[in-house]
Amino acid sequence: MSLVAEAFVTQLAEEQILLSDNASSLAVQAFLQMCNLPVRVVCRANAEYMSPSGKVPFIHVGNQVVSELGPIVQFVKAKGHSLSDGLDEVQKAEMKAYMELVNNMLLTAELYLQWCDDVTVEEITHPRYGSPYPWPLNRILSYQKQWEVRRKMKAIGWAGKTLEQVLEDVDQCCQALSQRLGTQPYFFNKQPTELDALVFGHLFTILTTQLTTDELSEKVKNYSNLTAFCRRIEQQYFEGHDKDSSTTVAARSAKRSLLR
Amino acid sequence: MGTVHARSLEPLPMGGPDFGALGEEAELVEVEPEAKQEILENKDVVVQHVHFEGLGRTKDDIIMYEISDVFKAKNLIDVMRKSHEAREKLLRLGIFRHVDVLIDTCQGDDALPNGLDVTFEVTELRRLTGSYNTMVGNNEGSMVLGLKFPNLFGRAEKVTFQFSYGTKETSYGLSFFKPQPGNFERNFSVNLYKVTGQFPWSSLRETDRGISTEFNFPIWKTNHTLKWEGVWRELGCLARTASFSVREESGHSLKSSLSHAMVIDSRNSSILPRRGALLKINQELAGYTGGDVSFLKEDFEFQLNKQLIWDSVFSASLWGGMLVPIGEKPSSIADRFYLGGPTSVRGFSMYSIGPQSEGDYLGGEAYWAGGLHLYTPLPFRPGRGGFGDLFRTHFFLNAGNLCNLNYGDGPRAHLQKLAEYIRWSYGAGIVLRLGNIARLELNYCFPMGVQSGDRICDGVQFGAGIRFL
Repeated sequence: MSLVAEAFVTQLAEEQILLSDNASSLAVQAFLQMCNLPVRVVCRANAEYMSPSGKVPFIHVGNQVVSELGPIVQFVKAKGHSLSDGLDEVQKAEMKAYMELVNNMLLTAELYLQWCDDVTVEEITHPRYGSPYPWPLNRILSYQKQWEVRRKMKAIGWAGKTLEQVLEDVDQCCQALSQRLGTQPYFFNKQPTELDALVFGHLFTILTTQLTTDELSEKVKNYSNLTAFCRRIEQQYFEGHDKDSSTTVAARSAKRSLLR
Repeated sequence: MGTVHARSLEPLPMGGPDFGALGEEAELVEVEPEAKQEILENKDVVVQHVHFEGLGRTKDDIIMYEISDVFKAKNLIDVMRKSHEAREKLLRLGIFRHVDVLIDTCQGDDALPNGLDVTFEVTELRRLTGSYNTMVGNNEGSMVLGLKFPNLFGRAEKVTFQFSYGTKETSYGLSFFKPQPGNFERNFSVNLYKVTGQFPWSSLRETDRGISTEFNFPIWKTNHTLKWEGVWRELGCLARTASFSVREESGHSLKSSLSHAMVIDSRNSSILPRRGALLKINQELAGYTGGDVSFLKEDFEFQLNKQLIWDSVFSASLWGGMLVPIGEKPSSIADRFYLGGPTSVRGFSMYSIGPQSEGDYLGGEAYWAGGLHLYTPLPFRPGRGGFGDLFRTHFFLNAGNLCNLNYGDGPRAHLQKLAEYIRWSYGAGIVLRLGNIARLELNYCFPMGVQSGDRICDGVQFGAGIRFL
């Protein structure tokens, strides 16, 4: 049974989207491309509030609205498409573990950098997050979101960490991913899985987003097999395919190209 | 009326400021206990002094305005009448709990033979009062806790804080009200509020946080209100099954608008009036003072009542409105009009007429609604003179239409669009009047002209509210 014609991934508008949301969104796009499902990306300023779980991206297929990569994978599986069918139980468990690692480490590090590092908050996050709204709503919403994220950081124990410690954690995470990838084209040998989509989403975004410092992307660049992995997936699934989608991927504002 | 004592020998109690009196030559006034009304009317009197007892924090100047007419009285009946009017005016300020009037002959060295002294004995309200009431709005009930600081700085300023917890809404608000001394109908107020509402007919939840300032002033027989309002609106879906059109409207927006309202009301009562007419015209312009919502909104309400034979009343009403978005952004679901329900076109479910998507009603940018009613006393008039007078039987014919307009077409096309697919209904029922504030209705309705997508409530329908079509 094939999926109903068009799904669209909804994300925040170009000038508004932040690093972490961009990464999640790119992961979902990569996953859907890998499944060979047509996808149209729509940008809305209120995507975060439209989403049933409060997080972007979400897909709208026919009558259904599904948000975040995990539920989207389940949804797509229920429709008959799956990337991880070929894996055995041990590998599936391993895949889940690595996806958890990326979510707990990389995503949280991105959130920390965006909302808890004062320089980044002032120069990048506040102007971007509040850009669609008039004064004073832009300030109110940014501060509200910042307070919410900081509260979450406190709950998981990251509030006390310094930027160096966070970058150390990112390094360790990349090391683990690099070791698992080794010299294979994908994490589970020949076929891409949702883990590949997720890792690609985060690493590609980190490598190509300009922040106040380059330290985050440098940590990832230390591992050459990871950068090669990102390049490979970009070439295979985003260039030459849907032209709009590739320009959306490559032309994020203030990005440097991965291909030198 | 207040108490009027006629004493001639004991001195009057002194207190409060003395005001100058107009002097005039006159004859001696003899106050006899059996004095007939015509004798009193023929005697000229002069009000020499007006005393006030019991003033605390209230400032003198606002009092002076309210009682200035008392000095112009020429005879005793006039004095009594003007004092009564002054008493009403003082009570209207909302700063006194009791006002008693004492009229007596003047004593003392400068007393004229026909001089009178008028004394107002007042009890000011406490500095802080609390209240607890229940409130009935349009088909919802709520519990309201209030704190009031009447007469805060001595010139009838009022600060109110209200917290309301209801079946559908929770809200709180702080407001400051100040009338112009001498002209109570001219006043301004500043309000801060947070209101949350749930609208199951649209699967929508709305939270408004706002600040507004308004000026009220009368011009001849009309009452005008000028208001600026800034509201931070947050819309969300009420259920996971909300349609995508409603989901698209979720999020935050800021509305900053200027509005003007004009009211002419000559009815004898606002609930079940017997005669008179009401005309309310309201316009709102949003977007030019900030915010990201931009529109021009007009709406009007008209009602005419006429008493017929046998204690029955015929009433006709017409409502209408139009919302014109300015710029390319489409209108927001929170600004549009809704139609249908026991307080609007009866026979249809609450706000369930017009454009909809998957069962969620989206409202429309233009509407009109009209009603013809005949109110009669209950058959066989049970409880006449008492409880039975609160009930009326009621026969009605309601009609209306709600749609979105394409503003590129001309007005002719708009009128055509509003005239096709008219929903209408007729029926009869019983109306109960609740004080001077609200009414309850129980009707049997026959909805007609139902279009696909409308939700009807044919048969028995119950309604409670303040504003009915």
